[in-house]
Amino acid sequence: MFGKRIDFAGAAGFVAFMAVLPLVFGGNYLIGVLTVSVIYGIWAVSWDFMSGLTGRENFGHSLFIGVGAYTAGFLNTKFGFSGWWSLPASMIAATVFALIIGLPTLRLRGPYFALAMLSGAVIMQRLMLIFWEQTGGEEGINGIEPLIHSQLGFYYFALATLVVTTALLLALARSHWGLILRAIRGDEATCQAAGINVTYYKIASLVISAAFAGAGGALYAHYQLQVSPQLFAVVTSITIITMVYVGGMASIYGPVGGAILLVLLTELLRDFGEWRLMVYSCTLILILFFLPNGLIAPTWRRVKAKLGRPQ
Amino acid sequence: MLEILIHGAVSSAIYAMLAVGFTLIFGVARVLNLAHGSFYALGAYGAYYFTSHLHMPLLPAALLAIGLVALFGVFVEKVLVRPMRRSQLAVLMITLAVALVVEQALFLTFGSEYRNVPEFVSRKFTIGGVDVGGQRLLALGVSVVLIGLLWLFIQRTRLGSAILAVSQDPEAASYMGIPSDRIFSIVMALSAALAAAAGVLAGPFLTVQPTMWLLPIVKAFAIVIVGGLGSIPGSILAALMLGYAETIVGYTISTSWTEIVSVAATLLMLVFRPAGMFGKRAAF
Repeated sequence: MFGKRIDFAGAAGFVAFMAVLPLVFGGNYLIGVLTVSVIYGIWAVSWDFMSGLTGRENFGHSLFIGVGAYTAGFLNTKFGFSGWWSLPASMIAATVFALIIGLPTLRLRGPYFALAMLSGAVIMQRLMLIFWEQTGGEEGINGIEPLIHSQLGFYYFALATLVVTTALLLALARSHWGLILRAIRGDEATCQAAGINVTYYKIASLVISAAFAGAGGALYAHYQLQVSPQLFAVVTSITIITMVYVGGMASIYGPVGGAILLVLLTELLRDFGEWRLMVYSCTLILILFFLPNGLIAPTWRRVKAKLGRPQ
Repeated sequence: MLEILIHGAVSSAIYAMLAVGFTLIFGVARVLNLAHGSFYALGAYGAYYFTSHLHMPLLPAALLAIGLVALFGVFVEKVLVRPMRRSQLAVLMITLAVALVVEQALFLTFGSEYRNVPEFVSRKFTIGGVDVGGQRLLALGVSVVLIGLLWLFIQRTRLGSAILAVSQDPEAASYMGIPSDRIFSIVMALSAALAAAAGVLAGPFLTVQPTMWLLPIVKAFAIVIVGGLGSIPGSILAALMLGYAETIVGYTISTSWTEIVSVAATLLMLVFRPAGMFGKRAAF
């Protein structure tokens, strides 16, 4: 009971901190950085929900992000839909892609899913360039309308989306459902023997993960006011995976911290702009070797244990 | 018609060189090496660097590049992959991270512009009225020879038998006194060298830039799925199928659609026959 209250207090404190930060320091630049970090948070949480819990690593999360962003771009600029349609539409589009790749590959054991996601994202990026007449090629789609005109307002909307996403996925992860996903990670064959429809749970969790990633993609499109094939790039996926590893796999809340921490830190390293991805890749290797449980979630557990100990 | 036949054979040969190495290290060490495409890229960049910056003649430059990439492969296997081998996913992660480090290193040293790898043969040949670049024919020939030599090496030599033994049952092989760790390193070196050779040979007529590792790994993956994970004959056959399928689609429909072929093939194969044409059922 006490542990839950500490969790809640920690979460509330964190949200309050993120909400107050732009008010204290102000400046559109900081708000922009924070907005990006919050959107990365949504992506990292959604990645962790599927891959962290079931242990099926998704090397092509950028596929869902790109599909969501391009859906938003198409609807908004080519068909004249209002920006608010982007969120549900991009969730549906990402879900469709999740089913196309998930249905054939998640039935199987082995690395097929990880590799099929990677290929899917690479090919989608190529297709965006090849069919440049429709997609705008390298330039992508420009002139997307903002959702909310005030930059601060949009930041709060993105933050609210992150909070809702995290709360929902955390609730799911701690329910009976999440327990089954974790069990699949532990031993798939035993789950099957216990009468659990393993494939159904894996595909459903991928669909949920894809839907939130797509929504994050739509938010990003309405923040940048343009989309480009770079969204599908493998580096986007790797950046997200690094954030999850830093945060702590399968903890759901950890990746949010990982995303925000890494975006803010790399912003400090802006003078070394070209080195940014190198830093990410090397961080990932170091974390894999020395901190396989991540940084943020274990630290929080330690803090909690200290606070929770009866005096 | 003849054009399709020749160009299909050339791209099949390059694919086969890539896929055979990829499937070999998987079949023997159960390592799915996402850095395989990086070996290909490093081979091409090595040949470029040694010829244009150090002004070496092409043949020694190519051999040096291939040798260095093989050493790099052994380094990756020994230092990075081996401690992670207990977890299949950690191996995927670490090799993908290596691929990105290589991409970034190439980007930081050479920039993102396209680079030129010199051709071994620059004259064009006319076969039955079709003009074919000599370099392409050379790539085809060398790849057939290299894969043939690899096959002989595995089937005929003592070391080859040891590799086969480890691939069939690593535990039983180590009871027979076969040092499986050393076998893994040797296989990784072979696989990296083959990928680097593909890079050196295909570099002159393909684009050489830091992200060039990506598409080959996607193709190699598709080929290996269709052929069956871990099967060398399967991957050669599948490389022929993919190479020709792409060429035919390119000539008859549009080159835009060629990239879809590999993904469609992968997904269809996984739906209907996940073990591939020659793979063992439920490889792991």
